[in-house]
Amino acid sequence: MKAIAWLLSAGFAVAALEPAMPAWSDDDLKALAKGELIPGLLLLTDEIKESPLSAPGVPGPSAEEIADAKQGSPDVAEQYLDAYFGERPATFLVDPQRLLGPKDERDRSGFLKFHSGDSEVDLFIYLFDGHQTIPSEVREEEVVERFFSEGKPAVVVYYFLGAPQKTDLYVSPVLGDTVSAAEQRRALISSVEEALEKPDAIGQLEAFCVQLSIRIYWMERAAGLVADAPTVPILRRTRQETPEKAVSPGALKAKAWVDEYGPATGIMAGAILIVVAGVSVVRHRTRCRFPVFDVPPRLGGEHAAGIGAVISFGSTTLSPSSQRNEVPDYLGL
Amino acid sequence: MKCPRCVQVIHRGAGLCPHCGFGIADMDARHGRENVSIRRLADGAGLMRSRERVKVQAALDHFGRRFPQLFFAVYTGSAGGGGNLRQFGFWLLNRAAFEDVEVDRPNEAGILLVIDAESKSAALSWGYLLDPFLKEEDTFLCLSRAHAYWLEGRFAEGTIRLLAQLEKILRKRASQARRDPERFERRVAPPARTGEIARRIREGHRHQPLKATEVIK
Repeated sequence: MKAIAWLLSAGFAVAALEPAMPAWSDDDLKALAKGELIPGLLLLTDEIKESPLSAPGVPGPSAEEIADAKQGSPDVAEQYLDAYFGERPATFLVDPQRLLGPKDERDRSGFLKFHSGDSEVDLFIYLFDGHQTIPSEVREEEVVERFFSEGKPAVVVYYFLGAPQKTDLYVSPVLGDTVSAAEQRRALISSVEEALEKPDAIGQLEAFCVQLSIRIYWMERAAGLVADAPTVPILRRTRQETPEKAVSPGALKAKAWVDEYGPATGIMAGAILIVVAGVSVVRHRTRCRFPVFDVPPRLGGEHAAGIGAVISFGSTTLSPSSQRNEVPDYLGL
Repeated sequence: MKCPRCVQVIHRGAGLCPHCGFGIADMDARHGRENVSIRRLADGAGLMRSRERVKVQAALDHFGRRFPQLFFAVYTGSAGGGGNLRQFGFWLLNRAAFEDVEVDRPNEAGILLVIDAESKSAALSWGYLLDPFLKEEDTFLCLSRAHAYWLEGRFAEGTIRLLAQLEKILRKRASQARRDPERFERRVAPPARTGEIARRIREGHRHQPLKATEVIK
């Protein structure tokens, strides 16, 4: 009971702290009764009362200023600039801000490594957040020229996580001489379009990388870094090597036997088959004839007097021999 | 060669059975001496369905093609049962005129299977052409092949099995006869008469005189 009383008193105390409910004044009630006052009319009118705080003659802040004031500076923090642009990156995925989780970073790095091993052109991804911008003092083209002029040709991408449409693409000078700007733009647009089809930022990055890797393959061909048919000999070699490894000694012996005796065995088997088939056909078509001898008629029969066996099939338990009828019919019945 | 009634061995060319006096006249007296016109497959007892009869007919045709001299006939009906089945087969093969058998295949070249559903027994008879080539044991072997089917009432299947076995035996005998016909001819040659034997002995003595050494011995 004490607890209930305590709870009730606490509830009343809280209710007492809330502001009082609005109440009609007598004048408003009279105007409402006469129809002069319509409840909620103030909310439906477009009248905007001027703020008493705004001083006349002083312009208000623009929308961009308000947005900037809310978000702060969009530039990449200065502490990360060295990690981004201080030297040629040691990994294909440059993400000093740790925008990706460990697993996603491992996946993307693995893919870029795989691409590097499979392609003559490396792909470097500089990863930024979607709302970030690269500071104006950083000149992206210059970074690419400075770090990627030597060594393996590379495609450098400044990718904004969650905003693939902001992505910039640069190629190392070796590629820039042979791959046209239009081709680079088409590769970028194609990859961005592919990324935008994915709903989430990680999926967008994955799709972007895959599509750009495919486009880089065509860049390699355009730059003459890849011969037209380099893969055919490789495939042929693997096809030749695989069965040799799989062949067991028994199979080798069998193969040798087949090579040595196969044709002769085949010919012999074919000949035997032909002979067997011929004999079968001949036997099937053979007409059997008996020599005709003069047989004197017996018992007055002009044509026949050959008496064979008589068998009874009345019992299922007795053998045919037991049911053979050899009883002479002396009485002629 | 046995008598259809007493199942005793009789000599070649016997007009009547020397043991019981049986002759075809006895059967004529019972069944008539007029020829009976029937087909090769005469299912008088109705043991086979129409579809089965077609199969049996095909087997009979096949037998006829394999042995151009012979034909096989099947008769189902009552024949008095028991030992009478032999006599009935003997009579029918002598008196039947088979409508669907070529004229160049006389009854001497026929083999007749008689199935008596009442007495649940069956018998085989054959014409004189097959006298040297068929034995009673051969026919028993053929009937044994059909026995299991006939026990179950599958008369058509049993008959087809019997035909297959008979074809096997006859093919073998035809092959043997082609190689050594005299062996089979001796079986049916007429017995030499007593006077003929004496004449041969005399001629043999005359043409082949004894040598001096043999006389001394």
